[in-house]
Amino acid sequence: MGVRVVHYLNQFFGGIGGEEHAGAKLTAQDGPVGAGRALQQALGGQGEVVATLICGDNRFHEDTHNVLMGLRGHLQRLKPDLLVAGPAFAAGRYGLACAQVCRLARSLGIAAVSGLHRDNPAVQGHRADVTMVPTGETPADMPQALASMVRVGLKLQRGEALGPAELEGTISTGVRSVYDREVPGYQRALTMLLDKLHGRPFTTEVPICTPERVPPAPALGDLRGATIGMVTTGGLVRRGNPEGQVAANATRYHRHSVRALEALSGNDWEAFHAGYFNHIVNRNPNYILPLNFLRDLERAGEIGRVHEHIYALPGVSTPVAMGVRLGRGIAEELQAGGVHGVLLVAT
Amino acid sequence: MRLELGSFPVERVVFADRTRWADGTLEVHRDAVLRAVRDDPRIVSAELELAAPGESVRIWPVRDVIEPRIKVEGAGVCYPGICGRPIATVGEGRTHRLAGLGVAEVSSVNWHDSGGDFVETYLDMSGPYAAMYPYHRLHLLCVVVEPDPALGSEARNDAVHKAALTVSDAVAAATRGLTAPQREVFELGPVNEALPKVVYLWCVHSPQAMSGSPDAYCTATYGLTQLTPPWYLHPNEVLDGALTGSYRTAFAMSWTVANNPLHLDLLRRHGKDWRFLGDIVLRTEWTTQHEKQLMANQAAKLAQVLGADGAIVTWDAGGNEFIEVIRTVQACERLGIRTVFLTSEDDATDGAPTMLEPLPEADAIVSTSFFNNHTLGVPEAPPVRRVIGLPEKAIQGDRRAGTGKDVMVPTAGPLPPPRRYDDHYGFNSLSCIE
Amino acid sequence: MGIPVAMISAIYDLALTTGANRVVRGARIEHVCGDPHLGPEKDYAYGLRIVRTALGALAQAVAGPTLFDPLAGGAAGAAGQEAARHAS
Repeated sequence: MGVRVVHYLNQFFGGIGGEEHAGAKLTAQDGPVGAGRALQQALGGQGEVVATLICGDNRFHEDTHNVLMGLRGHLQRLKPDLLVAGPAFAAGRYGLACAQVCRLARSLGIAAVSGLHRDNPAVQGHRADVTMVPTGETPADMPQALASMVRVGLKLQRGEALGPAELEGTISTGVRSVYDREVPGYQRALTMLLDKLHGRPFTTEVPICTPERVPPAPALGDLRGATIGMVTTGGLVRRGNPEGQVAANATRYHRHSVRALEALSGNDWEAFHAGYFNHIVNRNPNYILPLNFLRDLERAGEIGRVHEHIYALPGVSTPVAMGVRLGRGIAEELQAGGVHGVLLVAT
Repeated sequence: MRLELGSFPVERVVFADRTRWADGTLEVHRDAVLRAVRDDPRIVSAELELAAPGESVRIWPVRDVIEPRIKVEGAGVCYPGICGRPIATVGEGRTHRLAGLGVAEVSSVNWHDSGGDFVETYLDMSGPYAAMYPYHRLHLLCVVVEPDPALGSEARNDAVHKAALTVSDAVAAATRGLTAPQREVFELGPVNEALPKVVYLWCVHSPQAMSGSPDAYCTATYGLTQLTPPWYLHPNEVLDGALTGSYRTAFAMSWTVANNPLHLDLLRRHGKDWRFLGDIVLRTEWTTQHEKQLMANQAAKLAQVLGADGAIVTWDAGGNEFIEVIRTVQACERLGIRTVFLTSEDDATDGAPTMLEPLPEADAIVSTSFFNNHTLGVPEAPPVRRVIGLPEKAIQGDRRAGTGKDVMVPTAGPLPPPRRYDDHYGFNSLSCIE
Repeated sequence: MGIPVAMISAIYDLALTTGANRVVRGARIEHVCGDPHLGPEKDYAYGLRIVRTALGALAQAVAGPTLFDPLAGGAAGAAGQEAARHAS
């Protein structure tokens, strides 16, 4: 007997209808349905689509808990060897639903695979915990997408470990690791250059990732009543560095009180940072923490108050993961301190 | 420019009563060579020691490894400009090299006194740590040298590097008047017009920003290390050492610059796979956005004016210097020059991006893996039987990572690797994948 | 509700590309809020202009990564210039 496959589809690919049917309830049918027929074709004799689970995209997101409960029930009843979700191509809601269905299947011990376009919004949040193959943007890519999903899905179902995404043809988890490419780097570079020059396909060894976008905080209403805090990554320390701040590779930040200070003096403060020439800041530390200016503006009534605490660390050679932790810590303290706005000076 | 490079292979090095090369054996007149080194009144102590491939020996601190090269015909001297050497344009005539030999500059002198940059490299001649670098296949003639500590930083750097060059010149001179067993001609002659035209954008760290001085020691172009606009070099000039000196990693040495495999392949495949236009040397660590972008624009413009269809970009630094380098890649691509970037990668914990600035034009990157030895998982180098240089080395609380509380351990090991690996020119095959 | 942050940096494009929403152009890595080569009065005026621009950025709604250049024209720049006039 071949591999028992259950297929998850949305209202469109499941043949119910278009956007007007996005509220369709979760249903289960025997055998392949709609786009599932192409999946059966791709499986050939290796497996059988024993059932198809269809749910409207809006229904999935508006009633997630119940839909997942229903899916769980079906999967436990059907006991498939492999769950195939989508492919969703560029469709965001559908992609998200596919990812969550895969996660559910995996939690039940069922191998699961989906197919999404690399720019599908669902990829970012689920690349680490769901196996996905990259697809084209539109259903025109259906045959290739299904072929990849079948190839990868059957490997998963057999319990085989997947290789790196670049070699396996999956969407990477985003985690990079050391790998010996067995050809010296200079040769690979020249080969890649020739491929690029001659219009031949090539694969970059470092895919460029778009950084996370954070929605901007709303503007301050009134500066004159605002408490302003300061943070610097310039490695500001008290003279002599009594707290032992490191010069690079920070694993903590340092909080100092400036409550009694009108300005930072080079007699009492300096910079300890391995990534830039510190001597100018050593003479005038306000260059990396503009306390003197803020005090003048506070006195003139242009801002409400200078927050009593400032935060400093040496921003050099910090892994991003550590940066996230440190930033979070500083932000929480500033928020607890009732700060309305922050100046962050970076070197 | 036509340069004939004659190679004299060195399979054995011995101290003797003369300096002579014959049939793969280099005899070194230790006393005469040391006399020449000590001729410089700035030098307080100097010794010569030998390290052979496969020996259980560790050399620390290694500031540079220089391949002895000497001009036997044509203008100028090899390694021009640096340490006050003549600045006549090089790259023509005949040059002899001692292949398989490196002169190691071993001294406690630090790059500059402003903090942030420290000599970190030690070299093993056997074992797993040694295998990561090309030097364990060379015979290393080590110049263990200290200058007058009362001298300023620039003078101390100049004195010890000059000492290493003195030794390099002395042994290379043994090949004068001899016929090189292997000879290769380097010339960018006319080629099939259909071949794509390729340029090498060679980004080199300037110590000017970190040291506060335009004259601090580092990898130099005709002796200059200061922040300068992009500079065109004929590749033969680099073979004659116009780009020479060291920076902070084991792959940023005079030896790796002269023997840069990427550069050599660009030269050797001229006329077969491309027309090689030459090298554009771009200094990095400008400290405003404005200057960084300006350099990138001008480097790309120079490449375009030279007629480049394609470009390879490498760099030898870290941190914010990435910005002018990646913007050079971007500027070239925007001018229609197909560009490949060869680089190492930063920490990837929690799926973090490993490139400082993600520009979409950088779509053809070759990775030489994580530059951080800790991230690479490089283990401690095992203990060795003999040490050349300082018997102790600072680890843990060293000035860069800690509070100045150095922990001194025996150099003979075991020793953690230096902070950076960083295969700038793609000598090895280590990379990353996801 | 988030707290607005004005990031002052000499290498402002990096801040923008990596997603900081309010970015203020600083002078130079080695001296971000001012320039010792201008002499004490002009140094102070420049630094104040940078800080005023940063505060102006906090008080301005933005849709995404936005550059506030103390040396340029425009609202934030003008605020900075205004400050510089009062300072000198």
